[in-house]
Amino acid sequence: MNIVKQLMAIPGVIAAGEYAFRGDRYSYEGALTDEFARMASILCRANTLSVNMQSEIFDSFAENCGCRPVQGWIARGNRITICAVGNYFAFIENRDELLNDVMTIMRAKVGDIRDDLLVNLYAKLGGDTKEALY
Amino acid sequence: MNLDKMMDLPGAMAAFTYSDRGDLQSQVLREGTELTPQVLDLLAHSCVANLAIASMEARGWEAVTGQGGFQPLKGFSVVGLEWSVVVNGNCGVVVRNRDADYEATFNALQAA
Repeated sequence: MNIVKQLMAIPGVIAAGEYAFRGDRYSYEGALTDEFARMASILCRANTLSVNMQSEIFDSFAENCGCRPVQGWIARGNRITICAVGNYFAFIENRDELLNDVMTIMRAKVGDIRDDLLVNLYAKLGGDTKEALY
Repeated sequence: MNLDKMMDLPGAMAAFTYSDRGDLQSQVLREGTELTPQVLDLLAHSCVANLAIASMEARGWEAVTGQGGFQPLKGFSVVGLEWSVVVNGNCGVVVRNRDADYEATFNALQAA
């Protein structure tokens, strides 16, 4: 079973998806329209790139301090939380223990994110993406 | 703000407070951690930025989609390779990933 389907099987998960490239290639399940899923993918990709940039700055101050590469992020809303790990995202209700369960499953199923996540997210920009990034 | 209480959270490596501009105001570091006040200061600045961006996104998302439940923002967390930083308001906690209880940490920060 793929990660999105596994997440959607958990009560309280509103929607889950996977995105790639510029955030405009995506797949999803759950209570989002196609346009909202596209927006969610772009939002998640932008935040993922942002926190990765921050971690590279931390790393330059304290090498191997344990933050890089970033695995994901969580935005805790009033009733809904967005979890992003790698290039997967989930919109979940704020229910007891759901956040911990979803993060445990996402981290376990997606696996440790390596630096190549950024390369993959930048793919299709053309040229040598790895050289452009690093 | 009782930072010592924050250090009782599962996996807590550091707890800190910061100004609205992100300047580090106080911190508690667990002995033996590789984190330094300099890293925490940088972290605090990024936390203020991330909270502001996430608030803007929540506001925009609700306005565009009509979906509620995102505002007001109750916190933001960046999950690193070994540790995560969880923040809300003017306080943050760094927790080791393998022991992290994100829910308890967000709840503690909200109550603080």
